[in-house]
Amino acid sequence: MDAVEKANAERQKRWVKDQKVGEGTYAVVYRGREAATGRKVAIKKIKVGQFKDGLDMSAIREVKYLRELHHQNVIELLDVFSSKTNLNLVLEFLDSDLEMIIKDRSLVFLPADIKSWMAMTFRGLEFCHRNWILHRDLKPNNLLVASDGQLKIADFGLARDFADPGYKMTCQVITRWYRPPELLFGSRYYSSAVDIWSVGTIFAELMLRIPYLPGESDMDQLKTIFRALGTPTEEEWPGHTKLPDYVPMGLFPKTPLRDLFTAASADTLNLLSKCLIYEPRKRITAREALHHSYFTALPYPSHPSKLPKCTTQLAAHALEEVDGNVTMDSTGPGVKAKNGRLKRKLSSPSDDSKTRSIARRLDFTKHTPHS
Amino acid sequence: MAAETVASPPVPPPKQPLYEASTQFRNWRYSPEQLSAIRASLNAAAVAVIRQTFEVEEPGSSSIVSFLTPDEELLLVKLYVTKITQLCGLFRFPEEVEATAITYLKRFYLRNTVMDWHPKNVMLTALFLATKTTNNPISLETYTTHIPKTAPSDVLDLEFLVAQSLGFEFAVWHAHRALWGLCLDIQNLPDCPSDTRELYDAALKHIRTSRLTDAELIYTPAQIALAALSLAAPELAHQWSISKMPPDAPHTSRLSAETLPSIMDAIKSLITSSGHPPNIDSVREVDRRLKLCKNPEKVVGSQAYLAKKAEQEKKAEEKRNKKAVAVEQAIADGDPFGNELAERRPGLVDYDDDDDD
Repeated sequence: MDAVEKANAERQKRWVKDQKVGEGTYAVVYRGREAATGRKVAIKKIKVGQFKDGLDMSAIREVKYLRELHHQNVIELLDVFSSKTNLNLVLEFLDSDLEMIIKDRSLVFLPADIKSWMAMTFRGLEFCHRNWILHRDLKPNNLLVASDGQLKIADFGLARDFADPGYKMTCQVITRWYRPPELLFGSRYYSSAVDIWSVGTIFAELMLRIPYLPGESDMDQLKTIFRALGTPTEEEWPGHTKLPDYVPMGLFPKTPLRDLFTAASADTLNLLSKCLIYEPRKRITAREALHHSYFTALPYPSHPSKLPKCTTQLAAHALEEVDGNVTMDSTGPGVKAKNGRLKRKLSSPSDDSKTRSIARRLDFTKHTPHS
Repeated sequence: MAAETVASPPVPPPKQPLYEASTQFRNWRYSPEQLSAIRASLNAAAVAVIRQTFEVEEPGSSSIVSFLTPDEELLLVKLYVTKITQLCGLFRFPEEVEATAITYLKRFYLRNTVMDWHPKNVMLTALFLATKTTNNPISLETYTTHIPKTAPSDVLDLEFLVAQSLGFEFAVWHAHRALWGLCLDIQNLPDCPSDTRELYDAALKHIRTSRLTDAELIYTPAQIALAALSLAAPELAHQWSISKMPPDAPHTSRLSAETLPSIMDAIKSLITSSGHPPNIDSVREVDRRLKLCKNPEKVVGSQAYLAKKAEQEKKAEEKRNKKAVAVEQAIADGDPFGNELAERRPGLVDYDDDDDD
């Protein structure tokens, strides 16, 4: 046996697969443990043999970035090994995700809880951006939560390094509801600001307990955004009408965030509005966000161990990560969002698909008694 | 700051340069002595195994074989580094693809020997893998149809082995990126020429030359970039390094002021002395001998190859049988399909597991 094979065999022996917890098109996820310590892990087995172009891009991206990133708020890739023609990713085991927590109606969120999740999200994201990595698929079900309450950014299947200025990137990224307007207008040159927009919509979703901007198609997504935040003016967002896929959407008036987020503090709304600035260059950065007065004002963020937790646990996250992936030649925003919807049904069968379209008009205080 | 109030361990991690957190810094840096030691031991191990295989096939047959030396192996690898450059020209791949593929090829041969895996195939696989890891994918079909006498399987068969040998550490920090940053930065110097593009191109030539050497396995990308700039524009490079180390600088940068000149000299002499393509005739001779001494277990159709296959098949068969027994047992227990909710009996083979590892 070659040295490389031997090393691989030894790695493989370190981990035990206990139980299959889910199966997707091209991956199977197992709950497992480290043989020596009993530490719980998730093992994501990617079937490689079936791809005509070999190792697939999302697996490569995920491995490439997670190998480099080590941070409390980024999911940890513990090991990688191969078995025959399968690639196995050993990931830390995480109990639940923010989507499940948001949807669990038995849980009550305090403003301090939301602040804590936001702080952890921004810390993880600041670390990614500091390492010149764009995540490009932030959404509640990619923010996993450990049993100790720590939030971890997961699913790097769409991530990439920042491109040099002038180097094109695809605009077919980020699940539709969390996708910023510049991508919807087909911008091929963008920055870390795309992730910040996603965080803004997640922030809003944490307060509303339903998706903030649930567009039904890419066109409708823009309309949904403008209906909520007003149609951008040329002054507000210079040059946006020159973007490749620009189409006039009609003029929607600006309604103050306060009208919808009736119970939120001024700090909260200020940070939220800075995440949702139309002009990407003016949008707040992750680092600036961490220094925002929202985080230093009372109430202080809840300690992670004190955060609301789901009563039911979901083990199949890692699988969803795979399902959310996109092949290299076709990224369908529509496809992704549809996937998202399917996944939602899988993870927590709920009936709120009807209520989603009227999200804006709902008074979130019904579900979220803020102080 | 909010971060402190949220984190469970409130101590922020110590400030660490980004580069030092990379897998490249942690796992792929060597001293020249370590490099020779690794290559010597890989070579010796391969020779021992292959000699043994020859003897099994036909006693006494290994004595006439002239095995490759570590230096000869390196020579062959170097030739295929130049082939990567040629192919990248053909496909018009970006600089990053070329640099990454070359790094992969070099790293591969710090875990394997050319007597087991011929660099021709490894090179093709490393390049294809690099197009994907740098986000410049092309289809395998396009790739192989443009390379003479290459089938898709020639590329894919080794992809796993290459990825494994790289430890699945795909991210590479390149000297040409560091050089780009340097060229932006020197524009702040008073004596900087108005157009640094020319300077960049001149220094880039030296960086490309450095790819034929071990430089990237020994030095940091920034060090190599500065050495390349120094070869192209010594005075400017000197000024830049002075500007980065003011006299009142903290101790750590004073330290680098002391060691920097010797490191620069070492890299420059490495680039000028070994940064040339290998002599074709001597490589041809090495390749001719490789045909005679390569590991027969890796030669499709040879006796040793068939023997190894048969043994693997036997093992797999045993495993399948074991699995079948477990399934039968489960059926006998009245639970043929398993029940996800039921407590699993310890020791029972997971018959949901569809892999056979």
